[in-house]
Amino acid sequence: MTGPLYLNEVIGYNTSLFIAIGIGFLFGFVLERAGFGDSRNLTSIFYFRDMRVLRVMFSAVVTAMLGLVVLNRLGLFDYSMLLDYSLLTTYFWPQLVGGVLFGLGFVIGGYCPGTAVVGLASGKIDSLLFLAGMLVGIDVFAFGMPLWGSFYKSSDLGRITLWQYFGTSMETMALTVTAAALGAFILAWVAEKWAPYDK
Amino acid sequence: MTKPDYAKGYWNPFVAGIALGLVLLLTFYIMGTGLGASGAVARTAAVVTHAIDPQLVEKNQYFKEFYKPGGDHPLVDWMVFEVIGVFIGGIVAVLTARRFNISVGKGASFPVILRLILAFGGGIIGGIGTRFAMGCTSGQALSGGATMALGSWVFMMMVFATAFVAAYFVRKEWQ
Repeated sequence: MTGPLYLNEVIGYNTSLFIAIGIGFLFGFVLERAGFGDSRNLTSIFYFRDMRVLRVMFSAVVTAMLGLVVLNRLGLFDYSMLLDYSLLTTYFWPQLVGGVLFGLGFVIGGYCPGTAVVGLASGKIDSLLFLAGMLVGIDVFAFGMPLWGSFYKSSDLGRITLWQYFGTSMETMALTVTAAALGAFILAWVAEKWAPYDK
Repeated sequence: MTKPDYAKGYWNPFVAGIALGLVLLLTFYIMGTGLGASGAVARTAAVVTHAIDPQLVEKNQYFKEFYKPGGDHPLVDWMVFEVIGVFIGGIVAVLTARRFNISVGKGASFPVILRLILAFGGGIIGGIGTRFAMGCTSGQALSGGATMALGSWVFMMMVFATAFVAAYFVRKEWQ
């Protein structure tokens, strides 16, 4: 069967909701086993103590990225469907600003949204406060729409990929990202030896 | 440096990363979209606020998209169901590893109350960030990253660049 199954209407909406719980289960299970239910394991990357977050994230991104490229080549996954219907749209400046705010929230709060849910499952009281803070933050955003509503959907570049932006092929870009990830793994190893905060 | 206790007993990060990547790949194969988390929190915020003042939420420029006339309840949503699964998966993982522990994650000598205040404040800032970015580490960094979406990579780079700099100012929180 050629994926994506849902977009190809192989499975329906109600079935997809059941699948959502199963996929979420696997996601939450792996996040916990990665150590991401504890804010200390999530923030130690920023002090070069344990670059676990970088290793997990980059190896996950590369695995899924290469998997999709290979499945597309084998005719088992229709990448064009993703590009036409479901690739995340780029809003350049809002996403840049959002990244800055999110980075601040991550290192101050100690979690990101998904890991805070796993933190809650692990009994971490700080994750509960982080989630409560997020609810407030989302309200601040929603009720501040008169102020930033026009910025929020500005610099719309559409469904654009890295390879389209750099004018190369999907395969070349995927190999470049893989090489960058391998480089980052080496830098991570060096950074842990350096450990500037723990001298 | 020897590993502290809180960092012990987990999977090798590359093994965990590949496992996570396979879950993500499966999600794309089945759904055509990736994983997510912050969207479910946004819907929860809409529902909680709606319970306090329905009018305000239904007229709000952002929240009203969750309350379309004749539409499903805001919590009947793929990502909300997925996040319920995340919670269940987390519980099963933490119980089978025997490390469920009611506690606060923080640097050893950092005051608990201050840590909880910063967790709440960080949640507020991060929550606002997820709305501007239209996603978080799951939806943008992991899922957008794996599909090589330009904006997701911009987001990911900014998250880490900012956090590495800001980390200096909150180093006592995590020391």
